[in-house]
Amino acid sequence: MVRTIARKELLEMLRDGRFRGLAILVVALSAASFAAGWKHYTDVQRQHVEAQRATRAQWLNQPAKNPHSAAHYGMYAFKPKSRLSMVDTGIDPYVGVAAWLEAHKQNEFRYRPAQDRTAIQRFGELTAAEGFIVILPLFIVLVSFATFAGEREQGTLRQLLSLGVTRRDLFAGKALGVGIALALVVVPATLLGVVALAFTSDFAGLRDDLPRAAWLTAVYLLYFIAFAAISIGVSARARSSRTALVILLGFWFVNSLIVTRAAADIAAWLHPTPSAVEFQKAMDEDLTDTEEMQVRLDRRRQQLMQKYNVQSIDAVPINFSGISLQEGEEHGNEVFDQHYGRIFDTYERQNHTFQLAGIVAPMLPVRSLSMALAGTDLVHHRDFVRGAELYRRDIQRMMNADIAQNAKPGTAYVAGPELWAKVPEFDYELPGAAWALERNHISLLLLVAWCAVAVWFAFHATRQLTVD
Amino acid sequence: MLVSMVRHEWRSLVGEAALWIVVALFTIALGYGALTGVRWVQFQRNAIADTQQEEAERFRRHEGEIARINRENATVSAFSDPRNPDAVSRSLGTRYAVLPPTPLAPVAVGQSDLLRSYFRVTTDASEIVLAATELENPHRLLAGRFDLAFVLVYLYPLLIIGMTYNVLSAEKEQGTLVLALSQPVSLRTFVLAKILTRVIIFLALVILLTLVALAMGGVDLGAPDVLSHLILWADAVALYGLFWFGMAALVATLGKSSASNAMMLVGVWIACVVLIPSLLSMAATSLYPMPSRVEMIQAMRVASDEANEEGSRLLARYYEDHPELASDDTQQAMNNFNMVRVAVTTEVDRRVQPVLRRYTEQLEAQQQIVAYARFLSPAILMQDILNDVAGTGTWRHREFLRQVEAYHQRWRNYFVPLISQKRLLVDYSGLPQFAFEEEDLGIVGRRVTISLAGLAIPTTVIAAMAFLSLRRFPVTQ
Repeated sequence: MVRTIARKELLEMLRDGRFRGLAILVVALSAASFAAGWKHYTDVQRQHVEAQRATRAQWLNQPAKNPHSAAHYGMYAFKPKSRLSMVDTGIDPYVGVAAWLEAHKQNEFRYRPAQDRTAIQRFGELTAAEGFIVILPLFIVLVSFATFAGEREQGTLRQLLSLGVTRRDLFAGKALGVGIALALVVVPATLLGVVALAFTSDFAGLRDDLPRAAWLTAVYLLYFIAFAAISIGVSARARSSRTALVILLGFWFVNSLIVTRAAADIAAWLHPTPSAVEFQKAMDEDLTDTEEMQVRLDRRRQQLMQKYNVQSIDAVPINFSGISLQEGEEHGNEVFDQHYGRIFDTYERQNHTFQLAGIVAPMLPVRSLSMALAGTDLVHHRDFVRGAELYRRDIQRMMNADIAQNAKPGTAYVAGPELWAKVPEFDYELPGAAWALERNHISLLLLVAWCAVAVWFAFHATRQLTVD
Repeated sequence: MLVSMVRHEWRSLVGEAALWIVVALFTIALGYGALTGVRWVQFQRNAIADTQQEEAERFRRHEGEIARINRENATVSAFSDPRNPDAVSRSLGTRYAVLPPTPLAPVAVGQSDLLRSYFRVTTDASEIVLAATELENPHRLLAGRFDLAFVLVYLYPLLIIGMTYNVLSAEKEQGTLVLALSQPVSLRTFVLAKILTRVIIFLALVILLTLVALAMGGVDLGAPDVLSHLILWADAVALYGLFWFGMAALVATLGKSSASNAMMLVGVWIACVVLIPSLLSMAATSLYPMPSRVEMIQAMRVASDEANEEGSRLLARYYEDHPELASDDTQQAMNNFNMVRVAVTTEVDRRVQPVLRRYTEQLEAQQQIVAYARFLSPAILMQDILNDVAGTGTWRHREFLRQVEAYHQRWRNYFVPLISQKRLLVDYSGLPQFAFEEEDLGIVGRRVTISLAGLAIPTTVIAAMAFLSLRRFPVTQ
């Protein structure tokens, strides 16, 4: 019975020109977005790999000079693109791509790609994720709003039920029909994504991305199921197909366009972001705290004199300027950790509120999870910034240690390429899928809850289906 | 006849719950949107005030230090000497170039959350000066703001559709259409009256509510140039609304059921507001892909490495180009470390020009595509107009960047002679200052008028089509 109903449902859709048109549109859009995402990813990744290689070469090719000059010359860290960013570019356009790793200073990541684009991008980018999160639910609404309401209007519902079809079978059959129709669109779209992914990486890369990609697919599927269930439930409850359509379109609009903005606003209102000038001023004040530096240097002097059991700092067998430079770094690092940490914490608190707002709309948890799994959310950005900063600190430590070890007072000390080569290459690994999910467990929980409640609602609504 | 029909339609609409739901939604959305805009402008004003305060405090501190040095005849290191033109030009005496929000800025947040509105200008390369960014949660930049522009571009047409999708079909489905038309009234007058009533209600509602919300938010509606901008804004609101009313009327004349009408109109809405803009954005970035800025960074680094190596040779060449700066004492002129830096920076600027030009050209090309293709979607036109009226769009910011670059040049030109002659500054009162000069009202007006025409022409065509199509409207089947 269930199968017959599902087949009838599907057949009806396939015969409907609107369905065919919509299905083709959705698949074509996702093909286009994957193609564009793939192209963008390969271009940018190539440029960044090339630049990272060049900055390394420049570092190694430095002539003999004082290690501190080398530290000032520094290196650049370029943000690598995650492969799955071709599915969801997330915040990538809105965070900087490069930071200068120099002595004394943690620089911000600068050059946000969004600033190099036209204002039209603020309408939203057509990524595959956008297609799955915004466009596909609309497709679901349009193919399923009339499942029950339409039959009721045509009077066929009375006939069906009089045949002795149970409401449960009816629900299962209809859901199956909608599900297969959805699969006709989703499966080709997903395959396109897999092909695009396979094109960009070797086997090892693909294997690394697999858990993230699998979770991503699961997240989208849960979302589609939730949406389909809500549509079927509303269709069973609504008095007419017109009402069902209006309710579902309203829900779609609020879900995909209103809540992201409203939630981001509320989050920023609860946890305000300071302005750049305010931030810079506070950080500069702490950085130029000379008293604090004096205290630290005195303490280091005392420690060293005690360690080497001498009466004067000049008698210490290592060069104090290296120690003093490093002490300056340590002081700076504390200030940077405090100030940048505060900004990132503010953002993360905002995003936490944003995630909690997922109670109102299923789109928020999906959006968060999608970005997280694609490796393009703030948490991943922060992790990369942290990696780059730790690398900068390593460079400083190595340079300053070399000065302390080898520089002789009163002479101009220079080090050569052997020292530059001792600095390891900058290597950043994207954390695994589990790491990303752990930081988004609220979203995952909310999404599963949405899905469960939606299915329960649909089931319940069909159980109480009325004929008129 | 028309007047009495409008009056009748008005009475029947007032009795409907739907109208009051729309009014309530609109009031809430517009109020909230206005609040977002007002709060954002307040944030920007505070940031600008902070820059001015920081600058003033710094100037006071350094001028006090100059007085102390002169009084005590003290010696200070060149790096922190507030009289040293090199140190002053690069950090101690730098000033902010500020783009103040316009009085109507709360109308649209536009690009102002992405593009920074103040820069601390130094003698560094202008790319470095202009690379500064405002702090903002990138998730919020991605989400966009719930501002008045969002309400007008996205929600306003939906509410129009909600009120208009069944103007004819409902009457037909209820069987009242035949009755009404049995009176001495033509179908055209009948439809016109229905649409006109809604147009009047909507326009009055949107314009009045927005003005009240802005006035309550502290916007001075009487400030100079505000009225002219408001007129452009109101034109845009009216034309954009009329486009959607026209579309609803056209769909209504096809004689389909209410549900079909709703689906068709929502389809047009999604095409205009979601699909066309994002496809267009994709087309622009795919046809003219912007190379990542990392290429520029590398180019600048290579140029500066090479220039630094040439160092004094560049300075010699620099003096050849600027003989007025060379002092008689060649030996001393060539030993001026800070002048070597000036020569090197100038050379780096020269060398990276071609690379920078690629970015500007690519962006220009993207802009060009969008400039032509924006006529495909009234939503893009509307957003453009709103940004322009609010002064938060691309154009005004570009003008700002142009002026900042000119100021940056002025700043350098002021200091180079001082550096080359190793003159010391006595106070900071003569340092060049930046003041943004607003674009000419005529230029803004012309830009907006073209976009307005882009709204008016399709609206007229659609209305004419609806008018003609009514002839074939199947009243009785």
